[in-house]
Amino acid sequence: MCLTNHFWDYFVPGIANGFLYALIALGYTLVYGVLQLINFAHSEVFMSGGFGGLFVINWAIADRHPHGLSSVWFVLIGIIAGAVTGGVVAFVLERVAYRPLRRRHAPKLAFLISAIGMSYFLYNLAGKEFGRDARTMKPPFTVTPSKPLFTIFGASVNLYDAVIALSAIIMLVLLDRLVQNTRLGQGIRAVAQDADTAALMGVNIDRVISQTFVIGGLLGGAAGFLFGLGTAGVSYTMGFTPGLKAFTAAVLGGIGNIRGAMLGGLLLGVVENLASSCFGASWVDVVAFYILVLVLLVRPMGLLGERLGRSA
Amino acid sequence: MNQRRFVAAVIPLAVAGLVLSACSSNKNSGGQGGSSGGKPVFKIGYEGPLSGGNAQLGLNMKYAVQLAINEANAKGDLPFTLQYTEADDQGSGDKSPAAAQQLIDDKQVIAVVGPAFSGATKAAEPKFADANLATVSPSATSPLLATQGWKTFFRVVADDNAQGPADADYAVKKLGITNIFAIDDASAYGQPLEKAFEDEAKKNGAQVTHQSVPGTTQCQAGSGNTQQYPAVAQTIKASGAQLVFYAGYYCDFALLAKALHQAGYTGKLFSDDGSLDPKYIEQAGADVAEGTYISCACADLSNDPKAQKFAADFKKLAGFPISVYSAEAYDATNTIIAVLKELGASATRAKVVEKLRTVDYQGITKEVKFQPNGNISGNAVYIYQVQGGKIVSLGLAGS
Repeated sequence: MCLTNHFWDYFVPGIANGFLYALIALGYTLVYGVLQLINFAHSEVFMSGGFGGLFVINWAIADRHPHGLSSVWFVLIGIIAGAVTGGVVAFVLERVAYRPLRRRHAPKLAFLISAIGMSYFLYNLAGKEFGRDARTMKPPFTVTPSKPLFTIFGASVNLYDAVIALSAIIMLVLLDRLVQNTRLGQGIRAVAQDADTAALMGVNIDRVISQTFVIGGLLGGAAGFLFGLGTAGVSYTMGFTPGLKAFTAAVLGGIGNIRGAMLGGLLLGVVENLASSCFGASWVDVVAFYILVLVLLVRPMGLLGERLGRSA
Repeated sequence: MNQRRFVAAVIPLAVAGLVLSACSSNKNSGGQGGSSGGKPVFKIGYEGPLSGGNAQLGLNMKYAVQLAINEANAKGDLPFTLQYTEADDQGSGDKSPAAAQQLIDDKQVIAVVGPAFSGATKAAEPKFADANLATVSPSATSPLLATQGWKTFFRVVADDNAQGPADADYAVKKLGITNIFAIDDASAYGQPLEKAFEDEAKKNGAQVTHQSVPGTTQCQAGSGNTQQYPAVAQTIKASGAQLVFYAGYYCDFALLAKALHQAGYTGKLFSDDGSLDPKYIEQAGADVAEGTYISCACADLSNDPKAQKFAADFKKLAGFPISVYSAEAYDATNTIIAVLKELGASATRAKVVEKLRTVDYQGITKEVKFQPNGNISGNAVYIYQVQGGKIVSLGLAGS
């Protein structure tokens, strides 16, 4: 009943949420691919991107009320600012919290604690520096909610969802191309398959790992900006739940698998919204994680399996 | 090399140790028998959110408590010296017991203003009751709190049993709404308030759909996800509701309001005292917030001549104007000070609890007199509305 009635009304915002999860999930999955560890500080890379995008776009918009083509430029500026901030934070994170441990051949658990420590450090620092209250983002475009952009199967698609989905699709395609077709992508896949052999073949492992973090950071940071755009606000605690959900999405799709992260993100976003429509908002996590457990029982490696190295 | 590292690690630790022990010995020497200028020192503690997503509400009260204490000391006629101390509970029931313990362990604390939030009060009050330390909350409005038999619990604000029904009467009888969607934030504050609202609205003949939507981690108000609101907005839109009642706090209410706006919802918005804060307008956006109704058991003092001096002094101390619950916190503190004045230098925690039962103090918001269960006598609820980007008082709900 609930799945037939207003199905598309819930499906559409679910897709927008799903694309955000997918962008963040890629950060987890890429790093897992090359290091076989979960970068739990990635949620703070996402948060940093939100702040970076917010500050730049608020400064750029100033007192203007952008519309038309200028809106496109402002969204682009915001995405780039968010992505660059996320990339820089991820780069520093790898240098400070991971590389020294790798040099010392620290056990896997040390990386985990280091990541959690960096996560606490970053979000408390952001809370101290940027205030505990949510910051408001100036809208780069004006929306008239009564007039939706277009409709799919009777469900109205608003500009926010459309911008988020479109930007995410472009970034996801670019990433897929990058990993499949470039030297850098070859390096990432080689390290993911077998780091030692890759090193013997002349791949600079440190550089590939660093670049992997930066790519994950770029995507996560851009997602941070898009998240702030959708909710018109950014706060130092914004990373926690989306980070956890994106990690879930990565596992759902098969951790280490790039297309798996995309699929997992979209699936989680849609399932959550449909669960909200059927059972109410307080049941969303119960249903979503129930499904996660079911999927993992049937396919312990996730939907597409764990295989960044093998023909991702 | 190794030794140098060792020394580098040990020195800061040793210094920290010294500082800590210095602090604790200070506390001891200034303990129960401590005095300044021959007069005993009494501390009035304040427990509320001083950090976290709802910190602004806490700060609104904090400076009012400090102001009342400063004024009492400045008069120079007290047989004791008053001091201010605080404990940050972030408005959360998880952090509240530790904050309460901090105040209880400080033996100079003679009474407490707060805890500010209902969930925090629910978690901390058993500790205060054990320690026989009186708490006067300016803002905890959950009806449950007065039914637990805590001898130390007092509040200077009417509870949600007053606010919920008054809101429902206003929405149905005054605004003529017949189809309502009511949401609570799954907190100890939101749930009973929503229930009281829903019961009264149904009694008045309105159709009410209810959904519990957990407050988000982004707002530090629960375990919910910010991304949940678009789906909730769709559900509300599909219900055809003319009015959305939100029982929760401004941070999450702003997120919901924006999602509703984006989904194309054009009906009315109505929330409670947890949303009575200019930050709601800032975070939701002025065009989204415009027209929102907000209720509060707190009086609007902006046009009250009695409160002008308070408002000016508060602004000088805090750096921002009086806001929600500032005046109630001021009254709560002054009620405690009035009790202490009567008791004089020999006041104890137990005596303060006893004396509060019979106190009759004329505050700037209302006459402070407590019922046996700790509730304030009388239950005025006021309605506000966002007009032109500002929160404007529409007067008493029942008038």
